Amino acid sequence: MATGNIKTVYDIFQSMESGPTATPTYPIAQAWLDHHSRSLGLFINGKFVLPADRQSCSLTDSSGSVICSTVCAEDEDISQCASSAAEGYQVWSDLTCRQRANVLLRLVSVIGQHGQCFSELCGLCGVSGSPSTIVRMLQYYSSWAQLRDTLISSWNPLGVVVVVVSDDCAFNSLLLKVIPALAMGNSVIVVPGRAKAPPCLLLAQLVMAAGFPAGALNVLTGSDSSLVAKLTQSSSISYVTYGGNKQDGAMLCEATAGMGVPLSVSVCAGSSCAFIIFDTADIDSAVDGVIEAAFGTKTNVHWVLCVQERVEESVVARLRLRMAGLKCITLSSDDRLLVDAAVQEAQHQGAMLVQSCTPPSSGAQYPPTVLCKSAPSSPFVVNPPPGPLLPLLTFRSSKEAVTLGNHTPHGQAASIWTEDLTLALETAKSLSVGAVWVNSYSVFDPCLPISGHKDSGTCTDGGQEGLYQFLRAPSFSSNHPRSPTTIDYSKFGSSGASAVVIPDDLGASVPKHYLQFVGGKTCKSVSGGCVAIQSPGGRGVLGYCPDGGRKDVRNAVEAASKVQPGWMKKSPSARAQSLNSLAKGLEAKRRDVATSISTQTGVSMDEAEKEVELSIIRLSDWAAYCDKIKGGSLPMPQSGFAFSVPEAVGVMGVLLPDSNPLYSLVTLLGAAVATGNAVIIVPSQKYPLPGLTFIQVLQACDLPAGLVSILTGSRDQLTAALANHSVIKAIWYWGSAEGCQYLQHTCTNPLKTLRLFSQENKEEADWTHPSILEEMWRNTVEWKSIWIPTA
Amino acid sequence: MSARNPGISLDLEWVSQVRVNTQAVLRRAQHYQALKVPKERWQAAWLLKAVTFIDLTTLSGDDTPSNVHRLCLKAIQPVRRDLLHKMNVQREEVTTAAVCVYPARVADAVAAIKAANACLPVASVATGFPAGQTPLETRVEEVVQAVADGATEIDIVINRNLALTGQWEALYQELCQFRSACADAHMKTILAVGDLDTFTTVYKASLVSMMAGSDFIKTSTGKEAVNATFPVAIVMARAIRDYYLSTGHRVGFKPAGGIRTAQESLLWLALIKEELGSDWLSPHLFRIGASSLLADIERQIYHHVTGHYASYQELPMA
Repeated sequence: MATGNIKTVYDIFQSMESGPTATPTYPIAQAWLDHHSRSLGLFINGKFVLPADRQSCSLTDSSGSVICSTVCAEDEDISQCASSAAEGYQVWSDLTCRQRANVLLRLVSVIGQHGQCFSELCGLCGVSGSPSTIVRMLQYYSSWAQLRDTLISSWNPLGVVVVVVSDDCAFNSLLLKVIPALAMGNSVIVVPGRAKAPPCLLLAQLVMAAGFPAGALNVLTGSDSSLVAKLTQSSSISYVTYGGNKQDGAMLCEATAGMGVPLSVSVCAGSSCAFIIFDTADIDSAVDGVIEAAFGTKTNVHWVLCVQERVEESVVARLRLRMAGLKCITLSSDDRLLVDAAVQEAQHQGAMLVQSCTPPSSGAQYPPTVLCKSAPSSPFVVNPPPGPLLPLLTFRSSKEAVTLGNHTPHGQAASIWTEDLTLALETAKSLSVGAVWVNSYSVFDPCLPISGHKDSGTCTDGGQEGLYQFLRAPSFSSNHPRSPTTIDYSKFGSSGASAVVIPDDLGASVPKHYLQFVGGKTCKSVSGGCVAIQSPGGRGVLGYCPDGGRKDVRNAVEAASKVQPGWMKKSPSARAQSLNSLAKGLEAKRRDVATSISTQTGVSMDEAEKEVELSIIRLSDWAAYCDKIKGGSLPMPQSGFAFSVPEAVGVMGVLLPDSNPLYSLVTLLGAAVATGNAVIIVPSQKYPLPGLTFIQVLQACDLPAGLVSILTGSRDQLTAALANHSVIKAIWYWGSAEGCQYLQHTCTNPLKTLRLFSQENKEEADWTHPSILEEMWRNTVEWKSIWIPTA
Repeated sequence: MSARNPGISLDLEWVSQVRVNTQAVLRRAQHYQALKVPKERWQAAWLLKAVTFIDLTTLSGDDTPSNVHRLCLKAIQPVRRDLLHKMNVQREEVTTAAVCVYPARVADAVAAIKAANACLPVASVATGFPAGQTPLETRVEEVVQAVADGATEIDIVINRNLALTGQWEALYQELCQFRSACADAHMKTILAVGDLDTFTTVYKASLVSMMAGSDFIKTSTGKEAVNATFPVAIVMARAIRDYYLSTGHRVGFKPAGGIRTAQESLLWLALIKEELGSDWLSPHLFRIGASSLLADIERQIYHHVTGHYASYQELPMA
């Protein structure tokens, strides 16, 4: 115990200092760890497995002492785990919805009994997690489990879902994937980060205690991302979803490319989020808010404080006062060096510091620091170092606030502070982020759907919308082959099509030279090259189409991004009108288009006319859908207004399949355009003619010029061009397995939402299935949730 | 006593720009509600400090010289002498901050304290307490009379009518009149927050009261339905901070009504320390208006010293 000058009651009476903060003890968690002899194994097939002779990694607490060790799974364990999950899936998905809901609710009472152990274990491992969030999530998703077949009828679970999380995101992000996956009838393999492993293993144990079938939830621990790559080699894995920092996510994309397993990424750690204070804000509350958000325990985003110029002084004055008492934050020694360097550089560039105290000259402690007079170009804003640093930027008008908030590759969330309702809603609408918190910050609830916009993710978590990533529409599945080949990623698509040789018999019947459609105009390719369109049997040349490439994609994207924001803002009925006019246009040209299908694919004229007929109906369907795609209010437990809004992803790239050349074109075009996107369509390399003929229909309709572009040529070359354009946010791809692998590997910076279909796999999509409409539009929007606390 | 707040001229633009987000304030209040209170020696010290902040109050229709006399003597020696001795605290250092009575009882209180050879401020409520619904002349006269009887602190109530209808100019003028009637006595302005509808009105009323020269702003009379709560305290503390940032004058804060347990009083101290800083943890800038709170604090101190829980009879009554 402390010796020497012990503070007497009278001393304290005079100084009124706060007492020492009690160091927390974790008796129950320690007992649990002791019970497992401090070496935790894997959780496979409903029990702990501790295979012998495995590498182990030890987990240390903040003071550096070892808490426990975890096992690094090897090939044998990985395949055992995959087959256990596959068996678990059989049993779990065979239960009725009601039975699954009951088991989830039983878990609530198990958590009730052992919640203390869980929260202690989280505390011990430095993971932010609490039993109450698990309970809330179970209650929310058990009702979805119960009503799956009623409300989302005909959709089926995927199978075995792998949930991967990095250590820097909250435990909540892991649950927000695991629990809905289970609720929909999937079995789950969790690959947690090092620190999350113990609470995750405990959770798995509790899940079994609640009566889940063995294998429904498995936990694999390991040392690096190769674990997931090995796991995806198993044929039983249907889907991998990742939550955490961007770098690890991108690495995972690359490591699993070509494994034939779709992968989605939610970047829930390490991104920059704007904290916007308008001059109409309750400034005191906003300042209290930003201090808690930026310097509170366990922040996993980098907040950037944006303050309206008019109130900058008053915000800074309050920050100065309120930060005076804040305690230093413990950093690792490497982080301390980074923070020192960043602060030094900031000061060199004229930044003014607001600190709770002067930083100790060395050591791990660093005081919360606000860097006033920062600019968006300041290095510590572009690449924020880890540590309690908060840059403060100023803006002049509410419009500029939105520009400032949006001018970042990240799009996770934003907090806005104003008492002006109109301003709040307008700003919330204009910010390109997954979550907007009005007069509040970091409010998470399972009912709020969040999709990271821009570089912050490729899937939606939470809410009803977050369920669809774990469900398969009956229309088609995106299975592609599981054999990665060695691709030179830098060379893919660079060979282009072979040059057209002028035929010897330049006689009476010169084959037609078709034009592609860019920015509302027909044109040749920039390169000037052409490729021949082969007739169905390959016996003759039907014509020549432009050999589109990188520059053509660039021009198309340029035109698309000019008109897309305006198109998105148009009223649903205006969009519907345009789509209806497109349907009418197709009807007028029905004969020409049918002929092109028949000529190109060799089907009978009757068949071709049937496809045109279906396509006209499909376009009218999409026109009707325009005002059916909408968000709604959400059942938050707290009082206030929460609502979700679907938003267009922006500019999409579509590479069409060989089959149903017209029907697939209008289905995908309609899906993209009805929800407010612009789209660049590449008709099948084999059958481009119907697409080229459809250009006439597009020219005649009143869609804004540039909203839809049609490019033809070598598929690989165009794939590479689309993959390497950062503005394109989503790609739908039908093509070679190699192309699928290339896209998975390449579209990581920035992240693109990918829907990949290998045509080598003979599983045909059912384009007529009614569920295809929902499946499609859900993949052409990203969700934003807005939360306004009120009485 | 420290420097008084001289007040400033009414700044209506400042008042009109006030914005308070109710939900954010309530969330902030949850933070204080969930604070861990100090333990052991820290708890005892903080509780003793809390005693020195108490305006020991009796405001009933049946107040007579005898119960006012008892109250005054308890105020002079609020904690049993042997308990203080065991903690090595001088008994002179621990008295309540003041006693607070109706105007008609001021003379009794002053006499009782004088007879006990002690020195303790006597506070008087005034200006038509608790409703303030009497003519302005009589309200001013009440202040003058209480000061003449020896009150050194006057707890005036504001005219809620003026605050609710936004007549800040008129409210400012009334308060200025009270302030000059107070002369050397300190003016504590009761906002009666329970009657003020929204936090924004509370904030504005706080600002106007301080502009008119209040030495303290006080939450409530204890007679309204809603009295001192954390959310209201946060709003008023922010107004005090705001005023201090702009003018450099420190104004005191007095929550009153509904604070009954030692535990609550510790949270109040923590709130003041965090919102306004340690400077405000002084009887010059912080008071707690209470009557039954003292008994509970004394019991907790008894427990700290002896390790036993006392029955109420073991501690001298007020």
